[in-house]
Amino acid sequence: MFIDIDCSQMKKYNQNAYGDHFVSKRYPDEARLIAVLSDGLGSGIKANILSCMTATMLLRFIENQQISIKKAAEIVMNSLPVCKVRHISYSTFSAIDVNDDGHAKIVEEGNPEFIWIRNNEVIQPDYEIIQSKTFKNRKMKVYRIDLKLEDRLVFCSDGVTQAGLGSGRMKLGLRREGLIALLKDKLSKNPTISSSELAQYLINQSRNIESDRHPKDDISACVLYFREPRESLIFTGPPYHQSKDAEYAKMFDNFSGKKAICGGTTANLISRELNKAITMDSTISIGKLPSCSHMEGVDLVTEGILTLTKTLEYLETNTTDIDNAAGKLVNFLLDSDCINFMVGAKLNQAHYDPALPVEIEIRKNIVKKIANVLQDKYFKKVSIQYM
Amino acid sequence: MDKKVSVKVCLGTTCFVMGSANLQELIELVPRKYGDKVEVTGVPCLGLCSIDWEFSKAPYVKVNDDVIKEATVEKVLKAIEEKLN
Repeated sequence: MFIDIDCSQMKKYNQNAYGDHFVSKRYPDEARLIAVLSDGLGSGIKANILSCMTATMLLRFIENQQISIKKAAEIVMNSLPVCKVRHISYSTFSAIDVNDDGHAKIVEEGNPEFIWIRNNEVIQPDYEIIQSKTFKNRKMKVYRIDLKLEDRLVFCSDGVTQAGLGSGRMKLGLRREGLIALLKDKLSKNPTISSSELAQYLINQSRNIESDRHPKDDISACVLYFREPRESLIFTGPPYHQSKDAEYAKMFDNFSGKKAICGGTTANLISRELNKAITMDSTISIGKLPSCSHMEGVDLVTEGILTLTKTLEYLETNTTDIDNAAGKLVNFLLDSDCINFMVGAKLNQAHYDPALPVEIEIRKNIVKKIANVLQDKYFKKVSIQYM
Repeated sequence: MDKKVSVKVCLGTTCFVMGSANLQELIELVPRKYGDKVEVTGVPCLGLCSIDWEFSKAPYVKVNDDVIKEATVEKVLKAIEEKLN
């Protein structure tokens, strides 16, 4: 199973920092994912620091596997300081440790209870309560659940469940019931909606019910969606040994997911080896990049280094919906869960001529950077094969 | 009737940064001037810079089988005229 995870956040009105903090990390070798959402007391910079510290510390504790998530959360719960003014703990948190088979361990302290949806119905899982030994008013819930394909989990900060509090329409705020109604409604209309879209939808809806659409607290929604992985393959650069061209072209041809080619020489190579014609768009360039070409059975064919460089820039700056080759490649990548790169190691010396008006990156480096951004920022599973 | 003249503009990385982006004009200009006697298309890569790199003569354009080095709109139009006459 692939876990599509994303979190959307909004700051409290008039604040310049997020008071909730979300961290997530994939461990491809262990087929495991850990995510933590923490809500810091108050808002602005203070809350930002508190939540950021809680979330990152908890993630570190859990990932080391020296102690279980339950133990780690208990230590954090017992040691979080108490605010002198309000006499409540500095931050609250939810954390999940889940593997690709769907076995999940979840702990919650102070945050609203997560919502588990299967076949558009909410499931109420059993939990164990652990009382803090040091603070009477603190207790955490520990869950062990087994997820199936198409299940969803939604975590949120109280900014979501308390959205609209005191306003005319919802005097008590959105609450859990309101949130569930929103989720069911959206999922019945769009059962395969991605986590990022669903999280964004929840945030927007929460803001919309606030009076004057000004959030009175930091709002965060984190969604996990368990589904079949969408695989894709990007073939870029000719193989170091030309004798291997046919072999790699065949591998490319046999791949069952979506396919892209980045590179003129590479496109020619595939075209020659697989005997497939290339046709070009009727333009030469769009937005300072060479235009795309087309090949039967291949979803996207672009130029190489320039397009990859621009793609990295777009990915780093969250730029989407751009109508050029890099914009198309960004959409291609973000639509996939498991992304495989086949990177040819052959260099074209002409690219390193100092007389060229722009500096051209080394393919290996640029692909590595793209892979890192896709992993760290977009939570994709990425593999790179050099050839 | 004469055979169609084919113009292929290389859109590989080297050619593109060396100026084939500026040959966009040909795509509109040529059909206006010569109708369907001449066909202009981009190609992913002509593979010439990797052979000819010491001379750095990109961008390359192929008019039928002739290679034009350091191609400009004027050079390409001249080559097309030669082929047509």
